[in-house]
Amino acid sequence: MVVDSEVPNLLEPDALSTLVVSQDVDLAVRVDRARDVKRRLSDLEGFRPSSEEPSVWLPESAELLEVNFLGLDPNTRDTSDSYVIDDPDFPLMVFGLLSLMKPGRPVEIEGLSVPVPRVAGLLLEKLATERTGEKGDRDLLVALGLLLVAKPEDLDELDATYRGLSPDLRHTVRSNLTILAGLEGRLGMPDPGPHRVAIASLRRRLEATGGTE
Amino acid sequence: MSPALRDKLHHRVKAARAKDALRRFEYRQRNHAGGVWFRLRRLLSQAATAWAIGEEDAQRLLGEGVRPRRAGLEIEPPIRIFPVSEERLHALAERRPLETRLSAELLTARHLALVLWPQERADDPAD
Repeated sequence: MVVDSEVPNLLEPDALSTLVVSQDVDLAVRVDRARDVKRRLSDLEGFRPSSEEPSVWLPESAELLEVNFLGLDPNTRDTSDSYVIDDPDFPLMVFGLLSLMKPGRPVEIEGLSVPVPRVAGLLLEKLATERTGEKGDRDLLVALGLLLVAKPEDLDELDATYRGLSPDLRHTVRSNLTILAGLEGRLGMPDPGPHRVAIASLRRRLEATGGTE
Repeated sequence: MSPALRDKLHHRVKAARAKDALRRFEYRQRNHAGGVWFRLRRLLSQAATAWAIGEEDAQRLLGEGVRPRRAGLEIEPPIRIFPVSEERLHALAERRPLETRLSAELLTARHLALVLWPQERADDPAD
């Protein structure tokens, strides 16, 4: 499943990809399916494993993006925990927050079915991750891009999942919304200015259902 | 996988866990000085517009019973941040619009008036 900043690009009409985001693609692999994926890696054309970065596959042509494999453990009990699957050929870093993502409807592009997560989980993962610096700001602007395409039922789902987070993660979500509300717009990214009402509305909703602690 | 790559992965996991520990620490600090920036940002996110106002206007608002919000009083030097209605704002003699974000300009103002979104509470207990 494609996760991270490229997803809003894929969700645009005809996968228009207008957001300027990092030049790689994060692919989340369910840990219970990692062996199957590993078996299929030899079928992958145009990529080779990085000798410096475990779990990164480098493109052999400029038309392709670097691929970063991540582990997703749907049965994790601690969304803030991380661990390593120490496979010699297909090592994976498993981030607990990725477990918030559930498979959504695949995006069909030129006959290719691209698995993407549901908007609610991806948006919540973006907001629950501690972020700093320019990359952190851009990630939050990607979260805004997701908020703008989220339907009411996506926000209901986000709200329900949010309630199950630990209090410190809930606080991070609300904190990131306050940061997002104060960010300046950047070229090629959604501008929070005209959408501060929507950001405040989501913050209020989460405070109402999950408290302000 | 070479030992060097394995070390790299484990180092990253260690860094991710350290980040989580830091987040939990900051969460525990949320009601103390360490959490004041969050509360200030939250306050600004509640505002449709922010204005720097003069000393006399601040005294006038205090005289009218408008209580400055706690978050602004907890930084040094303190900033009196008054939630006001549009109507009250227009009655103030000296007002200058500011961006509704933490900025040098906003933090050097001594008195601020915020016009909150209609759904926000002026006497927010979470502040």
